[in-house]
Amino acid sequence: MNHRRFILHLNVADFAVAVERVVDLSLRDKPVIVAPLQAARAAVYDMSEEAYRAGVRKGMLLTRATRICRTARVLPPRFDLYRKAMGSFVNEARGYSPVLEHGVEDGHLYLDITGTHRLFGTPPDVGWRLHRQIRSKLEIDPIWSLAGSKLVSKIGSRLVKPVGEYIVADGEEQRFLAPLPLHLLPGLSSGERQRLGQFNIGRIGELAALSRMQLEGVFGRRGEALFELSRGIDDSAVRPEEERPPRVVREHIFSDDCADRTVLKGVVGALAAQLGMELRATRRQARRVGLQLDYTDGTTVSRQASVRKGVADDDSLQRLALTALERSLTRRTRVRSCRLIGDRLHGRSPQLNLFAAPATGRKKEQLLAAMDRIRQRFGREAIRMGSHPVLH
Amino acid sequence: MANERTAGPATALIPGEQPASSCLVMTGTSGYSYLEWVDSGFYPPGTRSAAMLEFYGRSFSVVELNYTWYQMARSDVLTRMLAAAPAHIIFAAKLTRTVTHEREEDWREQVQRYRQGISALGKRLAAILVQLPPDFDRTVSNRRFLAELLDYLQGMPVAVEFRHASWAVDTVFSELERRQITLVSVDEPDLPGLFPRLDVVTNPALFYVRFHGRNAKGWKHGNMQKKFDYDYSEQELHQWCEHELGPLSSRASRGIIFFNNHVRAQAPRNALLLNSLIGKKAARS
Repeated sequence: MNHRRFILHLNVADFAVAVERVVDLSLRDKPVIVAPLQAARAAVYDMSEEAYRAGVRKGMLLTRATRICRTARVLPPRFDLYRKAMGSFVNEARGYSPVLEHGVEDGHLYLDITGTHRLFGTPPDVGWRLHRQIRSKLEIDPIWSLAGSKLVSKIGSRLVKPVGEYIVADGEEQRFLAPLPLHLLPGLSSGERQRLGQFNIGRIGELAALSRMQLEGVFGRRGEALFELSRGIDDSAVRPEEERPPRVVREHIFSDDCADRTVLKGVVGALAAQLGMELRATRRQARRVGLQLDYTDGTTVSRQASVRKGVADDDSLQRLALTALERSLTRRTRVRSCRLIGDRLHGRSPQLNLFAAPATGRKKEQLLAAMDRIRQRFGREAIRMGSHPVLH
Repeated sequence: MANERTAGPATALIPGEQPASSCLVMTGTSGYSYLEWVDSGFYPPGTRSAAMLEFYGRSFSVVELNYTWYQMARSDVLTRMLAAAPAHIIFAAKLTRTVTHEREEDWREQVQRYRQGISALGKRLAAILVQLPPDFDRTVSNRRFLAELLDYLQGMPVAVEFRHASWAVDTVFSELERRQITLVSVDEPDLPGLFPRLDVVTNPALFYVRFHGRNAKGWKHGNMQKKFDYDYSEQELHQWCEHELGPLSSRASRGIIFFNNHVRAQAPRNALLLNSLIGKKAARS
């Protein structure tokens, strides 16, 4: 039994720009910035390599970015288009392995091609062929990197960005990582980098020279993770969509960007009610509710709130959602969309309570059950709480 | 280039008419890192990629490096590979695809980088294999490109493999001869448009043969598992020994022969079989 894995990482650098360039050929070889145009303090969502070289960075204020790179074409983001392009990108890769993990619209994709050699040939040849296929069919030019783990293949991609390929041979992982700067190591926070800088550690090899005990002495429980990261040890599996932990997601996009807290609370409450209905319909409960706010300037903030015992009733879910909202609202910028995610799901226990539930609890349960029945029969917006707005 | 004439595994010394004119023939395979060869029993069960070259060295003395076609040769990687490789093994290395098959604008700089990277092999570099794509025909612009490429590779041991039949002309052979560059002899399906099987030697220091298999049906298939799925019979290899090997070995002091039909470890099996046939032929002469 050979335990070597072959993980292919494909990454389309500056994905949004790459897609825009497929649609409009005149954008090729020119500096391009993707950013929401109508927002007062819009931030750069994505930029081309030319704009990057001129000094433009993701998250930078658009006014500053256009001052730095005056010749850049500024385009509004078209998320639907990027999602569609991502779908095509994923479909090309699916022909080589069913074990595939990808983001929504970020141009990143992991493919576990372990064991496919009899069907498709050597792993480097699969990487090359898939790259060629994507380039000819979709006209985008992804980086591809081949290694024995997700961690090392991702670092390989980062190393050759914006175009190219990298193959890290079996047993070469530590030697490959040793001379690289720490910022190429995924999962290392800027705080940790700063702390390591205080010890004059700037390369992955220097970090790998430290023992577990030394790292735990400085970083506590994170020491173990840093020990493994620095050595390229990563056993995490490529997780296809269907194998990822189940979750329930509800999303609302504001027709006009919104900064009104009352409206935001109402929308989040309505999303929590939708979440609750879905959970109750499938007899599940969530132990965590996450909220992702997309601000008008392109920034995204995510926060969560969790409980020990799973919940599925609207009141509890709304409480969690509003806690997450309070944690997310750290800025005065308007919000474009919000996404509520219920996860850490488990089935609702069929075990009845030993003692009778209080009358108020029973009444609420009956009320929710009645509302669910009405919604199932007449539509989601047929009945709602007075504080919740209509969500389209 | 290595000058040792000691016999390692899968080598045979074919005597010439005079003692000094003998030819050392070495057989090997195109690439060695195939997991399929573990499944097929060439490598012991559980062999990891990193340990394959060591096992390969127990059977062969020469190997063609494929990975340098997929990505640029890097001296640090090759130095480490060399340190772990059996001492008797010598190497042929493919030129990177971004120079030959997917030529990029900066190919000249890439050749310089390749030269720097491959120099880590030192005297154990038997040849740089310049494999040209099937659609690379003999046009004026392609001739100019090839001439410039060979100029950039000057001073290195170079072998050129054509895939398009239009290059099979005497002027090409004489130019290669003038430059002391090896013309690669190919054994492949007998299909129209492909470079023919020839026994032309353009470099007295080295002849170079590549056995791709004769799978005419799978040849045009994009999947290399179909294209290179062929098992040479003993009779086919015997015939090759009788008719092709003589003219090649009589005009060069060294010969390297690679099998590219890697599917189900047919390549190492065929290479070992051919070597035993060459050994018998050498013994007879």
